[in-house]
Amino acid sequence: MERFINLTVSVLTQGLIYSILTYGVYITYKILDFPDLTVDGSFPLGAAVTAVLLDKGIDPWIVLLIAIAAGAASGLMTGIIHVKFKVRDLLAGIITMTALFSINLQIAGSNYSVARTTPTIFTGFPATVLLGTAPLPVKKLVIFFIIALAIKLLLDLYFRTKAGLLLIASGDNEMFVTSLAVDTGKAKIMGIVISDALVALCGALVCQEQRSFSATMGTGQMVFALAAVIIGLTLFKKAGSVKGTTCALAGSVVYKACIQLAILFGLPANLLKLVTAVLFLGILIIGKSREERNA
Amino acid sequence: MKKYLSMVLAIILIFALSGCSGEKKVLIGLCQYGEHPSLDNCRLGFIEGLKEAGFSEGSDYSLDYQNGGFDDAVCTQIAQGFAAEGCTLMVGVATNAALACYAASEDNDTPVVFVAVSDPAGSKLTEGNITGTCDKLPVAAQLELIRMLQPDAETIGIIYTVSETNSVSTIKEYEKTAPAYGFRIESIGVSAQSEVTLAVDTLINKGVDCFSNLTDNNVVGVLDSILEKTDAASIPVYGSEVEQVKKGCAAGAGIDYYELGKQTGRLAARILNGEKAEDIDFETIENYSVYINPDKITVLNMALPDDVAQKAVDVTK
Repeated sequence: MERFINLTVSVLTQGLIYSILTYGVYITYKILDFPDLTVDGSFPLGAAVTAVLLDKGIDPWIVLLIAIAAGAASGLMTGIIHVKFKVRDLLAGIITMTALFSINLQIAGSNYSVARTTPTIFTGFPATVLLGTAPLPVKKLVIFFIIALAIKLLLDLYFRTKAGLLLIASGDNEMFVTSLAVDTGKAKIMGIVISDALVALCGALVCQEQRSFSATMGTGQMVFALAAVIIGLTLFKKAGSVKGTTCALAGSVVYKACIQLAILFGLPANLLKLVTAVLFLGILIIGKSREERNA
Repeated sequence: MKKYLSMVLAIILIFALSGCSGEKKVLIGLCQYGEHPSLDNCRLGFIEGLKEAGFSEGSDYSLDYQNGGFDDAVCTQIAQGFAAEGCTLMVGVATNAALACYAASEDNDTPVVFVAVSDPAGSKLTEGNITGTCDKLPVAAQLELIRMLQPDAETIGIIYTVSETNSVSTIKEYEKTAPAYGFRIESIGVSAQSEVTLAVDTLINKGVDCFSNLTDNNVVGVLDSILEKTDAASIPVYGSEVEQVKKGCAAGAGIDYYELGKQTGRLAARILNGEKAEDIDFETIENYSVYINPDKITVLNMALPDDVAQKAVDVTK
């Protein structure tokens, strides 16, 4: 039983951390209809910045803010390449991602570890005061829960503002927004900037949790986030009653739970990806059949 | 709704059932970074080393072996799974897997043993309840071997992946040591496996006299297609590990990763016998062997000096 609780805590924690990344991809992929491949570069960018700055002794919360700014800058680059220079969406993301690979290596090399004595958001103030001597996994779970929830609520609020509505409209019906004499380009850039800021924040959180950065950590994150968004939407989107951000959050947790289950099945290690794929397919089929019954 | 509920129940059941097995037994969680012959040898050697020290798998301990598939996020989940299972000992094979295990042990003080980490100090894997073995390539021995087999060679071509720490540090070592043996290093850094064959063509065109391999996962992964090109151009490739020479490299001075694994297994046995991992310094493997592939050497019309033939291990036998 203890093991079950421990594993659940671990899965929830991982799901919550990566939900931040999933929110980001939800904005670009689902709202803007813009497949933003910058993710594979901006995710490690957040981690690279974090690893180096933590090592320099900068406050871990301030480090998070700097990582967000770095991510936003990378999103801005993709946005400008796409909107101002009229480069195709996929290609714009690929250009930034490719550039970021070198930039990340420049910032932190191929690997960068942070010593255990360096404070992170889990071991420094205010976690120590608020959560006292709670075990580290519990601290992590609580902090990530607060962060994931806070960002979800902030995004939900943002989508109800004028700027947020414009963002949604730009993705839904670009012609309509243009006909209102509003520039969709700016809204698009804004969306990509927010998205990559979140993605880099996720990278920064992963780095604080793992105390390490590796240049390859971004590989496959886009695929993960897309799968998580789609799983979340398929399973939990029922006639608009559940918010998209909630679906993204749930999708991330379900994805990580699938990986954990695949690990637990104890099959030959090489079959891990296959088991994961089968689990996803199962979820998507169940989700689809429920959708049809409801319709 | 019923179906949904049954699914949740099924998941809970799986978790609960898997929690019932193996109580109060020594449980070793081993996370291998990915599928790779050298890393496989590390793992098998590790199990053998434990066996020699009196711990047999099954009767004395149970092994939870997991493979991360070169995915850092998966390694993290595997390592946290080990911590949740209450493993007696966590083993990380290769740097990134070791880092994941180390991070998962931050609060519970589970001892961690790493295998095949090239720079434990740089990766900050030296503080805390952790020890292991370090694999440093015998660069000087490799250069000496190349000099003996190709007395007139001037340039050595090396392809490496810019994101692999081990490779970057070894390239520096090569560049520092090569002039002493009269070589010049012509290296190309790639960022993806798909770029490796392009780099091979470039180096062949630049007229390198031979290629030397690192333990670079990306490059070694496509060794077959590298050899296809170098064979066509009659340029020898020197491997960094026995498996590479078996595949068709002419020769190579390298670490026996099976031995490295065994050495690590003995370290793990000391911990299982009650020693604290933090009291054991990490060990660097200094012993290397020279491997030759006489068939390949004949095909490439190279002379095999007697003193090399005598001390080298013939991989075709």
